[in-house]
Amino acid sequence: MAVHETLYEVMRQHGITRRSFLKFCSLTAAGLGMGPEFAGKLAHALETKPRTPVIWLHGLECTCCTESFIRSGNPLAGDVILSMISLDYDDTLMAAAGHQAEELLEQTIEKYDGQYVLACEGNPPLNEDGMYCIQGGIPYVEKLKHMADHCKAIVAWGSCASWGCVQAAKPNPTRAVPIHKVIRDKPIVKVPGCPPIAEVMTGVLTYMIAFDRLPPLDRQGRPLMFYSQRLHDKCYRRPHFDAGQFVERFDDEGARKGYCLYKVGCKGPTTYNACSTVEWNDGLSWPVKSGHGCIGCAENDFWDKGSFYSAVTTAGFSAGAEATADKVGGVLAGAAAIGVAAHAAASVVSHMTGKQSEESSNG
Amino acid sequence: MASTVTPNGFSLDDSGQRVVVDPICRIEGHLRIEVNLDESNTIRNAVSTGNMWRGLEVILKGRDPRDAWAFVERICGVCTGVHALASVRTVEDALGIDIPRNANSIRNLMMLSQYTQDHLVHFYHLHALDWVDVVSALNADPAATSQLQQSISSWRNSSPGYFRDVQNKLKRFVESGQLGPFANAYWGSDAYRLPAEANLMAVAHYLEALDFQKEIVKIHTIFGGRNPHPNWIVGGVPCSINVDQVGATGTVHMTWLNMVSDIINQSIEFIDKVYIPDLKAIASFYKDWGYGGGLAGKNMLSYGDFPLIANQWDNESLALPAGAIINGDLSTVHEVDTRDLEQIQEFVNHSWYSYDDESRGLHPWEGVTEPNFELGPNLKGTKTNIQEIDEGAKYSWLKAPRWKGHAMEVGPLSRFVIAYALGREDVKELVDSTLSELGLPLPALFSTLGRTAARGLECTWSAHKMREVFDDMMANLKAGDVATANMDMWEPSTWPGDVKGVGMVEAPRGALGHWIHIKDRKIENYQAIVPSTWNASPRDPAGNIGAYEASLLGTPLVNAEQPLEILRTIHSFDPCLACASHVMSPDGEELAVIKVR
Amino acid sequence: MSSTTAASGPGTSSLKPVYVYEAPVRIWHWTHAISIIVLSITGYLIANPLPALHGEASNHFMMGYIRMIHFIAGYVFAIGFAVRIYWAFVGNRFSRELFIPPVWSREWRGHLMHKIKFNLFLTRKMEKTVAHNPLAQVAMWFFNVLVGLFMVVSGFALYGEGLGVGSWADRWFGWLIPMMGSSMEVKMWHTLGMWLLIVFAIIHIYMAVRSDIMGRESCVSTIIGGWRYWKDDQP
Repeated sequence: MAVHETLYEVMRQHGITRRSFLKFCSLTAAGLGMGPEFAGKLAHALETKPRTPVIWLHGLECTCCTESFIRSGNPLAGDVILSMISLDYDDTLMAAAGHQAEELLEQTIEKYDGQYVLACEGNPPLNEDGMYCIQGGIPYVEKLKHMADHCKAIVAWGSCASWGCVQAAKPNPTRAVPIHKVIRDKPIVKVPGCPPIAEVMTGVLTYMIAFDRLPPLDRQGRPLMFYSQRLHDKCYRRPHFDAGQFVERFDDEGARKGYCLYKVGCKGPTTYNACSTVEWNDGLSWPVKSGHGCIGCAENDFWDKGSFYSAVTTAGFSAGAEATADKVGGVLAGAAAIGVAAHAAASVVSHMTGKQSEESSNG
Repeated sequence: MASTVTPNGFSLDDSGQRVVVDPICRIEGHLRIEVNLDESNTIRNAVSTGNMWRGLEVILKGRDPRDAWAFVERICGVCTGVHALASVRTVEDALGIDIPRNANSIRNLMMLSQYTQDHLVHFYHLHALDWVDVVSALNADPAATSQLQQSISSWRNSSPGYFRDVQNKLKRFVESGQLGPFANAYWGSDAYRLPAEANLMAVAHYLEALDFQKEIVKIHTIFGGRNPHPNWIVGGVPCSINVDQVGATGTVHMTWLNMVSDIINQSIEFIDKVYIPDLKAIASFYKDWGYGGGLAGKNMLSYGDFPLIANQWDNESLALPAGAIINGDLSTVHEVDTRDLEQIQEFVNHSWYSYDDESRGLHPWEGVTEPNFELGPNLKGTKTNIQEIDEGAKYSWLKAPRWKGHAMEVGPLSRFVIAYALGREDVKELVDSTLSELGLPLPALFSTLGRTAARGLECTWSAHKMREVFDDMMANLKAGDVATANMDMWEPSTWPGDVKGVGMVEAPRGALGHWIHIKDRKIENYQAIVPSTWNASPRDPAGNIGAYEASLLGTPLVNAEQPLEILRTIHSFDPCLACASHVMSPDGEELAVIKVR
Repeated sequence: MSSTTAASGPGTSSLKPVYVYEAPVRIWHWTHAISIIVLSITGYLIANPLPALHGEASNHFMMGYIRMIHFIAGYVFAIGFAVRIYWAFVGNRFSRELFIPPVWSREWRGHLMHKIKFNLFLTRKMEKTVAHNPLAQVAMWFFNVLVGLFMVVSGFALYGEGLGVGSWADRWFGWLIPMMGSSMEVKMWHTLGMWLLIVFAIIHIYMAVRSDIMGRESCVSTIIGGWRYWKDDQP
């Protein structure tokens, strides 16, 4: 086996001084929302550890996660791929192809059994014996299970791997399922979003490598550091929401003043992600800042919650049905009112006829 | 079959050694290529299998047409936004909505920046390693590399020290024993022809381009809120523009406009000083490798795109014109009518779907898609472990789209050839100057290298076109027009009951069409035919082969164990399989549920 | 008609009035009613905000006030509910009826069937009930206890989203969100719950008034004064 090289050594060899290395560590620690005391730990970790092998698989997906990943500004994706991790398999980027590519998977299992991180983009379809996604002649789900058997932990990139996403929207014709539905015996870190924010992806990965542990997760398996708050909680347009200042239609007066997008369907109040703080593409903007409400792409099943342009609580019960809570409720209340009126009328009639028959029988 | 000739003029012979490449990496999605070689290792039969199906349009049925863009945008995250644009266009076409001038400019800017970024990433990160031997770069002389760089462009990173750093970085990486994405490739193959110095220069630019590409897409971030998968709306664009009034900084304002302008300038510089010189330098070493033509120069199709006049869809308005070329006759550019039920049709007799009558094709407005995964009798392997596929039967998750019965090639080369044939000056000048610099005739374009070159030229074309579109938008803003959305028909209550629409986009990979049928304010039927479905298409009932299969025929492999030439030619199309294979059942009937394995 | 007018005043029967609703129950009833009205109005406005206000954001706090009122009313609703549960343990026997419909009792089931028939005009015989009639009891149990409990749990789960991960509301009630799938799902059902309570209120008020007019016992006055009076002496 080749001599391992630590990340620190790699960086030194790249002409990076110890001083800038330490600076990198403190910036990374700060970027991950951790105090300066962690910078030392991070530096120590990076100085002593060989680069962690990462196997990046693609199931049914659109590759937006990979595309997002290479947009990362801090750290740069190139630095992550070449210096921080050892990206031993990724069909979107790797030079090899065909059986030479597939051999790499077996080599990784042989060399790093139980030590590599399995990064999953997309998800496996189960219908048609899994043959809605074929790789090397076999169903993707088999490849996934095989690689999961020997991995240390799984990172489920994006909403496909975390929840199912668009191909799992109703009626889910291929029966695509999230990773946790087929792999049950490995720790899974969900990094949802369609796609997830680049810096969230690199942040999760660097955390796992630097601290050699999984980040603390919430009830649904998402890292707390990025997914514990709703966009709404830290939205810069929140004052307009509280004030009651809304965009009523796209490009109206409110839109040109940057008012709250809640009434044109913003799902920020129900969406857990870091968009309103980390923002996108080097922190330049995010959907709300550029005038379109959040569509809730980091949430479970967000495709089947009614139109992207209706307010959160009027979301539909199922795809296609125009039923919304308010509509259903309004109809129920209306029906109750009509029923009551009819019953009251019937009661009066009944009472009157009852009286008459009573009187006649008495008489 | 031993030896046959297809109606579109290609000889197939499947008697020789079979070579399978699956997965084809460095593409979007999952693709399988199988070829037969003769005794001299030349490809005599080629089979292209789309390996995935997601059923997106089944999912769209019954939904709000205004939401469709978000669903179809997830067809592809690499050429992100193209399906969303096609979707909002098809809904606007169905409902008769005109978009404001600024919205048209912003959409053009977003799509042009998409071209620029996508072509750049394709060249360096998905395609370059078919031409560039990374390992050979270790033997380069940094000083000579510096001289090479300075001789071909005025790009700033050109010192011997710079290339020494890159080389050292690479050296340490290789010596670490953890080769990551560069492991197990065909390094050292005789099919690689660049000198070590050119390889080192290309490796340096591989890394630079990886860092730079993320800047270009910031145009999407400004107007669409993020990239990948920016936001769109039916009727215009979601971002408002407020240049000088109260609340301006909450919208697209002066600072952001300046940033867009800067990104355009940087893109032009990077493309013109790095990408184009690299392309020409690499091409000069492979000039005599003229394989990979296939349908190129014979049958090519473009829907045209970039309307410079908002809502006008003829060639007077389109910056890249529409048209079709048949049987290599460049003197006639045929008109393409995407609404004509007889022109664009999809066939499935070699696809894993079933029709009532599989000898016929169906226009997307009438399309039927019922998955039917069955393998031919000559299959080697089992249903869930395919060794060699039987192309005599059904063999792909892609349908076979045809224009008037012809298999067509689409993509940057098709667009440029059609623009060239129509006498477009901007394109002619780019093409002619490049060809004369390389000392090549026009037919040299009809090859793998030609496809790669056309993509590069289109990249610089689009970077410069962004400047033009941006300046035009600024002039419009100066005149006081800041409207970005037409909301007159936003409410479904204003819509007619039963309408059909088409939305055309020239995606980076080629002609993309979406067809919609809206009934009672809901999607009744949604169909898309995407570039990679045209190019990677399986055979049709008449036996015509698609662009991928055609392009591989006649190519000699230096080493059958290292089929680099196959990758090279297939990559020159920039395959996108998630795009290609998402067709649907318009009836939306429930598909059989097979037991979990 | 004469009998109804006569029955509207207490004391036309020689049967002794019964003290049904003790003071805490009556107070709860009315605070509960008021909190539902306030919660419904503010809840509706949270889902469907008023037309946009213009001017400086710092001059307005419309949504802020609406949500604040909603939260305060939510606390009144929830704490009232908790106190009412406590009272079910220490109060008189009628105070428990709401929570435990005696479905095991054959007699009670018989009364229930009768009441259903009566309301469908299938029988004319009116039975007397001391507290809630069996049908009302079932309706109360479903709408007030089950829906009410769901509204408390889902309301605090959503409230916990604002308080943040680790807050008391998140720790106690946050589990509901992953259980139901997503925050949006919970919001949707919380809204539907509001409509169910409105439906209940409509029927409840109608039945109470109707029973006051046409029934053989007092109803509306009972929840005000606590005493149930009888209009006749028949069993």
